[in-house]
Parts: sequence; C-alpha cells; structure tokens
Amino acid sequence: MSRKKAAKGNKASAASSPASTGSPSTTAAAAAAATPGATRGTGGKGARSSPGIVQMNGVVHPSRPSISNSSEFYDIAFKVMVVGDSGVGKTCLLVRFKDGAFLAGSFISTVGIDFRNKVLNIDGVKVKLQIWDTAGQERFRSVTHAYFRDAHALLLLYDVTNKRSFDNIQAWLTEIHEYAHQDVVLMLLGNKADATHDRVVKREDGERLAKEFGVPFMETSARSGLNVELAFTAVAKELTHRSVKDPSEKFKLQEYVNKEMKSTGCCRS
Amino acid sequence: MEKRNKVTSRGRSIGGRASDRVDRVDPYGFERSKDFDYESYEALMSEYLVILTRRSIKWSKLLKGQRKVQKNVKLKRYVRKGIPNEHRSLIWMASSGAQEQLERNPGYYQSLLTAQHDPKLVETIRTDLNRTFPDNIHFHRTSNPCLQKALYNVLLASGYHNPTVGYCQGMNFIAGYLLIITKDEEKSFWLMDALLSRILPDYYSPAMLGLKTDQEVLGELVKMKVPRVWQTMVDHNVMWTLVVSRWFICLYIDVLPVETVLRIWDCLFYEGSKILFRVALTLIHHNQALIQQAQSLPDICQIFKQITRDTFVDECHTFMQKIFKEPGSLSMATLTKLRATCRSRIIAEKS
Repeated sequence: MSRKKAAKGNKASAASSPASTGSPSTTAAAAAAATPGATRGTGGKGARSSPGIVQMNGVVHPSRPSISNSSEFYDIAFKVMVVGDSGVGKTCLLVRFKDGAFLAGSFISTVGIDFRNKVLNIDGVKVKLQIWDTAGQERFRSVTHAYFRDAHALLLLYDVTNKRSFDNIQAWLTEIHEYAHQDVVLMLLGNKADATHDRVVKREDGERLAKEFGVPFMETSARSGLNVELAFTAVAKELTHRSVKDPSEKFKLQEYVNKEMKSTGCCRS
Repeated sequence: MEKRNKVTSRGRSIGGRASDRVDRVDPYGFERSKDFDYESYEALMSEYLVILTRRSIKWSKLLKGQRKVQKNVKLKRYVRKGIPNEHRSLIWMASSGAQEQLERNPGYYQSLLTAQHDPKLVETIRTDLNRTFPDNIHFHRTSNPCLQKALYNVLLASGYHNPTVGYCQGMNFIAGYLLIITKDEEKSFWLMDALLSRILPDYYSPAMLGLKTDQEVLGELVKMKVPRVWQTMVDHNVMWTLVVSRWFICLYIDVLPVETVLRIWDCLFYEGSKILFRVALTLIHHNQALIQQAQSLPDICQIFKQITRDTFVDECHTFMQKIFKEPGSLSMATLTKLRATCRSRIIAEKS
C-alpha cells in the first residue's frame, strides 16, 4: 500500500482534499504534521484528547501547549525536508542542528527517508520542526516526491566542493516547482563551506543562482556549524510568521538571513 | 585490529561487569554503540551459545567435510534453524546458485574489474565508500586488510555486469555484509548477482518498480492479516514506502541486529524473497497494539523505528521461529498473484 493506495481507501478524508487556504498544509499528513499534541509518547496509554483546536491558515493550533514524545512543549509544528544530491551533507547538517555534533566519518548513506524532531523557540512561540532527511540518489526521488507536497519548507543543499551537485540545483528546482506546494518556503544552502582547499563553487556563483531563482541563500558548514542553526531558525521564523502573525506584517526571510548570516572565515559570534 | 586484541585480552579477566568481559567489537567487526547493553547481551548469548554449539555439531555431521550440498527438506529445516558462521559462505553460495555461476564463468569477475568503467558509476560508488559501515573495523581506511577496496571492486563489477541497475544506494551495505561473511570478492560478487538477478524482484533499477510493488504487496498482506494496523496507516495517510523502504532495500541491514539479519539471509538465499515479507509481517503483527496507538504520521514513523530495536528482534533464534508461525500461511502462489496485481496497478497509475 502506498500513499496513493491509502488515499484511495480514504477518498473522502482530508487526504485528498485540495488545499483551499493556500497554506502549506495541503494534505492530512501535513495537517497531522501541523497538529501539536498529535505526537505523544509512543509507549503511552490513553491518547491525549485534542484541546480546542483553532484553524489558522491551515495550520492547526491547540488552545494550550501540548507535549511531544520527547516531553517538549510546543505550540505549532512544521514539516521541513532536506534535499539535494547524494553526499552533499544533508544528514550531517541535520545532526549538527539536532545534536550540535559533527563526527567526521561516522555517517552512513541515507536510504529512503528518515526523520528527526527539534523544538525551537521563535519569538516566544515553541515551534516544532519535523525534519525529513532524504536519500540523494536520483532513483529514490520517486519515493521522496510524494512527500514534497507535504513539506512546509525545503532546504536545498549543494556541496561547494562538488561542481556536479551545484549544476544539479536547477534540476532540483524544476522538480520542486513540479511537486512541492507553491507556497513552500525554500532556501538554497551551499554546504561544506569550511573546506577552503577543495572548494570549486564560489560563493558568488551560489548567490547568483539563488538570485536568478529568487531563493534565499547562504553557505553553511555542518563541520564548523556555520549558519546551520540560522538556516533552520530562518525557515521556522518565516513559517511561524506566516501562520501566527498578521500577514501584513511580512517577515523578510532573505533580509533576516543577510543580517544574521556569517561568512566563512568570519568569527563574529 | 590492535584495538580489538587489547579488548579481548582484557575480556579474559574473571568476574566484574559484563562490559569488562564482552568485546567492544562484535564478531563481525562492528563496534558496539556507547549505549550497548552488555548485561542483557551476555544473558542472551549464554543461551544462544548453547543453540549455536548444538547446531554446529549437527551441521558438521550433515556436511561431513564435503563442499557440495543438495537442497532438500532436511537442509531447509537446518537453514531455518541457522547456518553456523563457518558454513555460511558455503551454504549461501550453494543454495543461491552463486557457486554454479562462479564455476561456469571462470575469470569473469576479474575481467569485469579491468574493463573500461563509466566515470559516473565510479563517482556514485566512491561517494558511498566512506559511508558504508564506518563503525566496522574492517572498513576503516587504516585496517589491514581493508574491505573498502574490496567493496569498491564488488560494486563496480556488479554495476558493470548489470548496467540497467548500475549502482543503487543500499547495495553498498549488502555487498559489505557479503564481504564480511565470505571474505572473498568473487563470491560476494556472485552472491550479489544471485540477489539481483534471481532472488529479489527489481528493487534497485532506476524505476524501482520491484520495490514499489513489494511495498504495495506488504500493504495488501497487512490488510489481510493485520487489518487494524492497515486501518491505522490509512487513517494517518502513511505510505508504506515511508516506513518500510529501508527494510526491503537494505534487506534489514541496519534495521535489525546483525545476527538477526544473517539468520534472515540464511533463509533468503535458500528460500527466496518471501522471507522478507515474513519478517515484515511478524514485526507488524507482533507490535500491532503499539502501532494502533499512533496518533499521527510522525508517531507511526517513530513506532516503526522502535519495533526494530526492542528485545524481540535481539533474540534472533526465537524471532526466526516466530516468523514462520506468527504471520500465518503465506504461499508463493498468493505472493505471485499479489505481485502481479500490484505491479499492474502501479504501472496503470503512472500512465
């Protein structure tokens, strides 16, 4: 049974109903992702009954904080997918963000899809990011595509030491336009920025490409931690602003990133 | 290797804690994780060693030193109870037909290595070399012999031999296990060939149709055998691919404990891919109450990870007995029929 199958047996459910609000929450899966309180201790007994739920911009908010399975309180949840060619450092970036660690040579290639949670405090709002790590190899895309459309945000990575991964960004963007929700928050990241000697993609090349496609951009390093926290925080801020704040008070992702971003070799903290 | 010896000699001391007695590295070269439970491992092994010894004696009597085996009911029963590690390579080779291929094609493997290779294939394989079992001492770049080079060769030969598949992530782990067990590149290559061209459907080809089909087939089997779990999956709109693609692609490597995986592979090489469904169905059936409690899609993902890590799967001997009982009957005819139906459904949906 695949999603298609599941949807088939569940035609009337929210699973196949089109998004009417224009929010990133287009399917039941995404709604579940955006349902705080839905996730609880897997070994637990009785399910928490959902407290009064308020629908705002398609993202579901409880009237009071809920507990996730890691016993962390959160107010709102979003689904973030990390994509990009094989070996660009998606899992490393994720582990750096989640655990603040980088253990060189301790990672194995990701097969299929994996996921991790992290709760962030964004302007007083507890935001839970469900981060989906994907296999980079092309043939796995048919497996991951199905989940593109549920993503609220996509972090698209290339490796500054690998020209091919940079050249493939256009193809990735095409796929994203085809499969992801049109309102998806997208950010381009040039990873492994610490590898000065092996660098083949200039920072300006990344900037130019990002500008051409109107996508926020920065360079990151899972090894040094450069801009890793910022990448996730920035998308969390954007998503939170979109769903909680007054839409007229627009959060400017690129401006925020430019202000907060550190560049390689800069030790500003 | 040095590290291992040091640990072993320390392990000789009497008394103390289990963590002082048990190697930091398992018999296959995998370093045990920091949170490895030495106490329960020791308790488990004290029972399993009795079984292993008994099986080893039985196998020695059966084989009587000969290198040829005939497939029959008795051998099948023996395989299901576990092949002693010293005979694994021999039985896998014989029962999968890999030995026959090897003998029929002398020099073929070597010729594949010296052929002109597609640079893209080379690059894709290289990307994964350092990312294949970094926690196994035989795959460390500094170890001697280092299995990384052998891994590269087997994957390259395999990709060249089977150009429609080339290299697919997941194959690195499979080739790695084959090398650990056979300690022989050529045998590993032919076992890989047995898996890709005879035992498994087309899991690894670019369209991954066989994988998609088997994921659907599993869904259908769950619907028949564990309907409430199927309903839970439908309610939360979870695609099977999300939770089981790794199970199939990696043939349970890095999903289940090493010893359990090898016991599964004993049956996989002898009986075929049906065993993969038996394992999946057992995991799901055994944990159905837990899965049904899931409240969301991430919950389900979490539970599907959790069920591959509890003591139920550590106790490999009991687990292997369970897979032939717990899911009930599963005939090859049913499987063939379901595969055909699901396959045409997928093809129809695509067009």
